[in-house]
Amino acid sequence: MNAVLLLIGLLVLSSLGSLLMTRRSGGGAGLTSGVEYAALGFVLGPQALGLVGAKDLTAFEPVVQVAIGWLAFAVGLDFGFSDDRRVRGGSFALGSMSAGVTGGGVAVATWFATRWLKAGLTGTERVLLSGALGAACSETSRRAARWVADRYRVRAGPLTRSLDELAHVDSLLPLVAVAVLFALDPSRDVVCPMPLWQWPAVTVGSAILLGAGAALLLRSEIATEDAWGVLFGVSLLAIGVAARLALATLTTTFFMGIAVAALSSHRRELRAMVGPTERPVLLPALLLAGARLDFRATPALPWLAAVAIGARVAAKILVGCVLCAGSRSARKAGVLVGLSLMSSGSLAICVGLAFALRFPGTVGDTVLAVAVLSAIVGELLGPARLRRSLLAAGEIEEATAHTSAPDKALV
Amino acid sequence: MGTAQALRATSTRFSHAVLLGAFAAIVFYVTRLVPETHGESWTIAAIGFLLLAGTLTSELMSPIGLPHLTGYLIAGIASGPHVLRFLDESTLKSLSPVNTLALSLIALAGGAELDLGALRKGAKGLFWALLVQTCAALVVMTAVFYIARPMIPFARSLTPSAALGVALCWAAISVTRSPSATLGILAQTRASGALATFTLAFVMVSDVVVVILVATVIGVARPLIDPGATFSAGAFVRLGHDLFGSVAIGTALGLVIAAYLRLVNRQMLVVLLLLGFGVTSVLDYLQFDSLLTFMVAGLIVRNMSEQGHKFIGYIEQTATVVYVVFFATAGADLDVPLLRALWPVALLFFASRALTTWAAARTASHLASDPPLLRRWAASGLVSQAGLTLGLTVVVAREFPSIGTPFRALAIATVALNEIFGPVLFKIALDRSRETSREPVASFASMRPPPP
Repeated sequence: MNAVLLLIGLLVLSSLGSLLMTRRSGGGAGLTSGVEYAALGFVLGPQALGLVGAKDLTAFEPVVQVAIGWLAFAVGLDFGFSDDRRVRGGSFALGSMSAGVTGGGVAVATWFATRWLKAGLTGTERVLLSGALGAACSETSRRAARWVADRYRVRAGPLTRSLDELAHVDSLLPLVAVAVLFALDPSRDVVCPMPLWQWPAVTVGSAILLGAGAALLLRSEIATEDAWGVLFGVSLLAIGVAARLALATLTTTFFMGIAVAALSSHRRELRAMVGPTERPVLLPALLLAGARLDFRATPALPWLAAVAIGARVAAKILVGCVLCAGSRSARKAGVLVGLSLMSSGSLAICVGLAFALRFPGTVGDTVLAVAVLSAIVGELLGPARLRRSLLAAGEIEEATAHTSAPDKALV
Repeated sequence: MGTAQALRATSTRFSHAVLLGAFAAIVFYVTRLVPETHGESWTIAAIGFLLLAGTLTSELMSPIGLPHLTGYLIAGIASGPHVLRFLDESTLKSLSPVNTLALSLIALAGGAELDLGALRKGAKGLFWALLVQTCAALVVMTAVFYIARPMIPFARSLTPSAALGVALCWAAISVTRSPSATLGILAQTRASGALATFTLAFVMVSDVVVVILVATVIGVARPLIDPGATFSAGAFVRLGHDLFGSVAIGTALGLVIAAYLRLVNRQMLVVLLLLGFGVTSVLDYLQFDSLLTFMVAGLIVRNMSEQGHKFIGYIEQTATVVYVVFFATAGADLDVPLLRALWPVALLFFASRALTTWAAARTASHLASDPPLLRRWAASGLVSQAGLTLGLTVVVAREFPSIGTPFRALAIATVALNEIFGPVLFKIALDRSRETSREPVASFASMRPPPP
């Protein structure tokens, strides 16, 4: 079947799903992670029904690159802000610490696990795999707190705000890690080879340069339709350049988003423009991520997934303890408040997808599979724990704690 | 404009020029740093660069009154495989889905812009214009080609009857106009008035006329070019099937779109993508004319429902970006060496066609007693030629393989000139006739921030 037609079919399918979900749930468009689309993709993919074949997945790679790049750009544009309010310094530090502890914990645990499991990987592959699993498992879905808040008519209390802020700043470290990990296997086509440490610097540097260029263009009296031309143009150029140089697309566009937001005086307007495009871009990407899933990537996959998710749970509990130490409302919720940050989602799956594209085979497929499994576990634990934490902190009324708010639209 | 404003505008343009240079330098450096590219990832960068270069070049050219479309074309020519070589032929080939989407959006927008009430009012003028333009172009361009054949390498050795057949085909191709260029200019200028309405209606209706004309001319020319062949009515049966089928499907599609807009009115980007890629593929499979189908669909949405303006709004939101890439790709695709080789003949055909169009427009306006504005400027929007012409050239080349390749090359060179100068003429006419919108363009910087 024609790849473009198949892609349009998938796009229509995901849009229909989104339409139905929003209609039915009213208060929440599907799950926080969007993992249901990945599940649908898996069913349609080569490992199940085979409606989307392996060849099609190869043909879709540029589309996936664009989708994950655009999503990371949107995340970068929003980085450090929650609901147009700048994230407080304490939350920024705690969010970064949370990402570092969780990612580091998962990476260390899986590094030892690969040695113990004798997964048959080379030294570089082990570093890549464990590092990538750390990056994919460290993030908290930006929609997590908002999803629960909208569903259960939460009063905007200190705990809700803290958790929402943490979720809005913990994407920095994993995306830097992605750039560093990509540098471990740089492009072999490059005319003048560079030392390894320079690749992440090139990734961030080129992103800031392009972002600054876009911000400069957007500062002038440019027509609104031309603003779209500039935003799309610079983003696509960044994605294409990153792909040609074998850099991390996600990191490039993320830092570009940060640069645009920092250097432009129209961050809110840009956010208002880009925000509504996130979901239509994300859904097909999640579908394609699902279609790429291969649970037979390595026999050690179940063990690695268990170790990674276990380490993530432990790290989040630790983060919860730190949160309790500094916040009275968090203390009311108890030490398990950290599990409220278990929801991972689109960005984590995009990290998995980026590794699957860049390192096809055992490393890439394992990272993607674990990212999806972690999102599923997060979906089971995160929202339920968050609701209980907010209830304990008195930010959800008892009467509404068990009923959703169908009349309230999500984000 | 005050001195301070002029200075600010100049400094803005200067910074845009510097940034354009910087983006070009990045692309240049990356293509030299990693000469080989695997997969289609560079297509993404190509689209991005064409978007940026097209947007910025058009901005830089606007002070001298050139249309944005010309800026997009120039950006494309400069980035293409014959000048700076940022994009190679294979990358351009991989951009063909963008063209498919753009053409469907152009046809949908063209149909949706046509108001049957206004068409009815100007029916007399439109009828005379179509009749005189078609007949004049057929007669004059046949004569010009026939007389100029010693200048045309592939026509020199043809027998007089074969040369007449080829000249007829050339003349039929000359009758074509460019819906994409017309809509591109109208979208930029947001022009409204007699000239804008007339040009759009003429270009859209002539699309149907040309399809019939080319099929007829091919039937007539066949025995002239190939003495062993006979006139066959089979082509007309196919043509009838094609036209009626396209109109029927277009009507049904228009009703479905109108119903969707009324009942659902969400995810329109997905709907437009579905129309652009999905429905186009189905129409290609069924061998219907997608341009006509979409035009009819747009016409139905506009005139048989109350969703027309909403629909145009959605198309404009999506199309602006798509148009930039479409025209910049057209520029990059322009065969500069071929134009350099064939420019004297191409210039002759360009000039004779433009003159014929001008004379025919004056005659038709006189016969239809058009208002002075149309008498003066009606020809200006009818010079452009682009994708439709090249598409029909492929049909002629396929029907007559003995002259196909050089015929196509000559057509490409001539279309290049029409494509470059046609939009400029139309823009000048719209500006001079004061139909260009004087309302300030909604500036991004002046956008009100959304409520917190």
